[in-house]
Amino acid sequence: MPAPRLELRGVSKSYANGGPPVEVLHEISLTAAAGSITALVGRSGCGKTTLLNLAGAMDFPTAGEVLIEGRSTSSLSESQLTALRRRRVGFVFQFFQLLPTLTVLENVELPLLLSRAPRSAGTALDRLRWVGLEDKAASLPYQLSGGQMQRVAVARALVHAPDLLIADEPTGNLDTTSGDQVLALLRESAARFGAAVLMATHSAEAAAIAGVRVSLKDGRIVAIDRG
Amino acid sequence: MKPRMKLLRSLILRPLRRDLPRTLLTVLSVALGVAVVVAIDLAGDAATGSFRSSMETLAGKTDLEITANGGVDERWIAALAALPVDARFSPVIETQAVLAGVGSVALYGLDLLNLAGAPNGLPRVAVSEALARALPVRPSAGTVLTLNLAGRPQRCEVAQLTPAGAAEFVAMDIADAQQVLARYGKLDRIDVSAAPGQDFAALEATVRHTLPAAYLVTLPGARNQENQRMLRAFRWNLRVLSYISLVVGAFLIYNTISISVVRRRAEIGILRAAGAARWMVLWMFLAEALLFGLTGGLLGLALGRILAAATVRLIAGTVNALYTTSRPAPVVLTWAETWLALATGAVVALVSAFAPAREAIQVPPTEAMSRGAHEHRARLAWKRALAWSAGFAAAAWASSQAGPWDGYPVGGYLAALLSVAAAATATPATVLAVNRATRTLVRRKVEGLLAARSLQSSLSRTSVVVAALATAIAMMASVGIMVGSFRQTVALWLDVQLRADLYVRAAAPAAAGVNPPLPPDIGAVLSAIPGVAAVDLFHALDLHYAGERATLGAGNLDVVRRYGRLRFLPGQNRDAILRSLSAGDGPNRAIVSEPFAIKHHIRAGDRLTIPIGPHMVALRVAGVYYEYSSSQGFVVVDNATLRRYLPGQPATNAAVYLAPGADAQKVRRQIQLRTAGMGISVAPNSELRRAAIEIFDRTFAITWALEAVALVVAMLGAANSLLALVLDRRREIGLLRYLGASPAQIRGMILTEAGLFGLLAAILGLALGFALSLLLIFVVNRQSFGWTIQFHPPGLLLAAALAAVWSVTLLAALYPARVAARLVPAEVVHEE
Ligand SMILES: Nc1ncnc2c1ncn2[C@@H]1O[C@H](COP(=O)(O)OP(=O)(O)OP(=O)(O)O)[C@@H](O)[C@H]1O
Ligand SMILES: [Mg+2]
Repeated sequence: MPAPRLELRGVSKSYANGGPPVEVLHEISLTAAAGSITALVGRSGCGKTTLLNLAGAMDFPTAGEVLIEGRSTSSLSESQLTALRRRRVGFVFQFFQLLPTLTVLENVELPLLLSRAPRSAGTALDRLRWVGLEDKAASLPYQLSGGQMQRVAVARALVHAPDLLIADEPTGNLDTTSGDQVLALLRESAARFGAAVLMATHSAEAAAIAGVRVSLKDGRIVAIDRG
Repeated sequence: MKPRMKLLRSLILRPLRRDLPRTLLTVLSVALGVAVVVAIDLAGDAATGSFRSSMETLAGKTDLEITANGGVDERWIAALAALPVDARFSPVIETQAVLAGVGSVALYGLDLLNLAGAPNGLPRVAVSEALARALPVRPSAGTVLTLNLAGRPQRCEVAQLTPAGAAEFVAMDIADAQQVLARYGKLDRIDVSAAPGQDFAALEATVRHTLPAAYLVTLPGARNQENQRMLRAFRWNLRVLSYISLVVGAFLIYNTISISVVRRRAEIGILRAAGAARWMVLWMFLAEALLFGLTGGLLGLALGRILAAATVRLIAGTVNALYTTSRPAPVVLTWAETWLALATGAVVALVSAFAPAREAIQVPPTEAMSRGAHEHRARLAWKRALAWSAGFAAAAWASSQAGPWDGYPVGGYLAALLSVAAAATATPATVLAVNRATRTLVRRKVEGLLAARSLQSSLSRTSVVVAALATAIAMMASVGIMVGSFRQTVALWLDVQLRADLYVRAAAPAAAGVNPPLPPDIGAVLSAIPGVAAVDLFHALDLHYAGERATLGAGNLDVVRRYGRLRFLPGQNRDAILRSLSAGDGPNRAIVSEPFAIKHHIRAGDRLTIPIGPHMVALRVAGVYYEYSSSQGFVVVDNATLRRYLPGQPATNAAVYLAPGADAQKVRRQIQLRTAGMGISVAPNSELRRAAIEIFDRTFAITWALEAVALVVAMLGAANSLLALVLDRRREIGLLRYLGASPAQIRGMILTEAGLFGLLAAILGLALGFALSLLLIFVVNRQSFGWTIQFHPPGLLLAAALAAVWSVTLLAALYPARVAARLVPAEVVHEE
């Protein structure tokens, strides 16, 4: 078994907005390997999004460690973090995915543009073809349906072939057909691009594609279900 | 009432408090706009409001004033006194004296017999208490003061201190004054005061009938009114300039309210669905604007009061140099001014908020239109806006063709306003065009791409800010071009005008309308100096023509013809004209300066009747010449003509032309040597030229100050709008960070956006600026001052100014850029 792409070691997170600190995650330990799909399930407010932000190095634990490719996110400088996000992590959200001012193709290309990667347009078009929306390349986001936007978002999240794909309720806002399309893409991300997929979801269909289902309650892991 | 207040609190006031930096920036920009208007008004009043002779307190009330150019013959006192009327006729001499430690003060010669007949031979003077306080050493009875009279020191003994309020003056008996000033037989005026019971109309009629027709009999306020009339064009132009900052401020309120409406579209929709009436929504946004207007107005009033105190000297200096002597009075903030400031702030706020507020009530209930769709619609409107722009431009052109209205260039002002409107409505098209043109360039960096797209996608909002910035730049550019052209025109004209090598005048403080006489034998003294080829003795006299003030000049026009380079309007033969003036036979001829010709609608060949001394003299206008030293204008005749009507009138200036090869320095020293003690100053033409340009620059210093304020307002606006754009795009910025943008890239994006703002504003501003400068030069200036200014845009200055504006825009963007770079992505991306 290869070394895990992502590892959480006894991670806790608490917020202190003026008052006494409130712990929203408690001693979470978790790993995700290349090509695997992990689903986080649990009630609203149980800490899924918080956990995903920690895993994607967009936020930092108050205790414990988050390791991406073996490096603790808390020890990295701002520029190292930026480099890490550019090369290793891709994000998909529930709402508000695309920049309204950029075309579909430019939206997909954006991570490559931000990291000044060469031949970005060609790669982006490839990914867009992969999600079946190459004919929408020149459209603006408001001209797409919600499902199409989500597929564009998946294409964008994978445009730089990240090691880790983080998806926060990717089907939460979609009808069944669109949801299924997006889930198929996520599955392919793991199988074909070898990404470790970490997904928060409320839907049973989504959870079903995962190899590992982690149930959270009040910031604690209450069950891990493999198979 | 209650629910409305509650709505106002939750929908308007709370967001204002949450966005405190932006609220403050908006209030500050309104405040600056109002402050400039208040300052110019107050300072203008203080600088020009003090012509009233300070001697009223000394000599009592005056009912009529008798004046004449070349002075009033004192024999008329006796003739008037013999009239069967019950009135007092007092001779007056009024001039300026210089006192060490105080500077120039008024010196009056009056019938003050109690002062006459000094025991020790020194003239005895009364000193006003205000002046006594201003002197370095407070005088008392018996103190000896040294007055500097046209360069000659004159010792006097203080006989008494006279309480006269804030007036600063020295007074002596009329006989002493005539003696120390060597003005025998001549008075500056005769003041008439009627005894109680004397029929005023009869008195006036009798006095007029007794005196020569050329003598002016006026009410005492007339001079003050004449001064105010003379200054009105000057003050109007300053005032109009001061409105620029207000226009810029109006754009910014428009912008702020638009942002406020766009941000609360969803709330408005919900409110309307919940049954809120349209007018209530309208009222709320207008209330928000009113809040900005009134707070800004109040702050502006305080700021304006301070600014006025700082600018009053500047304006007084200009009035002194260009128009007439005045001493700045203290700045007084009146209630009228206070209400005006508040009303200005409120009206500007309401007017500029009306359009966006109306947009707010057109939001259909429940439809919370997304910003993307809203902006998309705005983008489609650019063609219609461009059509409007063309309409405004055509109207501007038509309005610029109109003549002056009651002496004011109303058409010109209207054309300027219409041009601003044309530029503002052309902004969306320009933004799109520039965006398209720079597409490949900005695409090289992702920051550029993002910035350009965001600029385009928030087109309606971007356009307002660009228009505000462009208006400020345009005003700066146009005034820069106008002043630069004017300066160059004046410099060229001075080269032509000041052909003599040396200029001689009485060594008194220089001020417009003050022409101290030279000693009578000065012509002979100068001509006798070796190296002097010719001397042109010039006489400058006050002239009142058609209710306006002007200068009557007389010179040796044959010398001018042979040595000078006077330029006449196109098609007029200089040599023939000057020859005809100095010919000495035939009818009396004169030439007039261009401002005089324009003001009084006079052309070459017309007849002109003016008073010269006691005579009304008919003159034929032989030509119109270019002149830039005074907007009041000149009528110039030959010395021979003047002598015919005013024999023995002393010259006021002399121009000395040197023989070829003569050493100007040596001749100058010779003149100084031979006129020692006569109180004369000699200056080479280079010095006069420099002094004239210095006066010019000082005159326009205030203009630059106004420009600077307009720019500061625009900068505040740029910072304000960029901050709004950053806050509104929080989620997008957060998303970008998730996609791998570094804080530096976010900062770069905002700064690039600011750079594009600046570029757009510079392009539009420059175009508008050129149009406005043409209006200023060929319509406004010509109609208000009568000057033909040649078009000389100061390229380097403009380039430097644009570079400065651009840098300051970037500087203004630093704060919003910092805010953007510091947003915490995990917090902002999940909002809403
Ligand atoms: N910045 C913050 N400050 C304070 N508390 C926070 C912050 N962010 C999240 N929380 C709290 O942390 C808890 C977990 O939030 P989180 O968004 O991770 O839940 P979630 O599982 O993603 O819920 P959902 O399924 O509704 O998206 C919640 O109780 C939330 O109120
Ligand atoms: Mg969540």
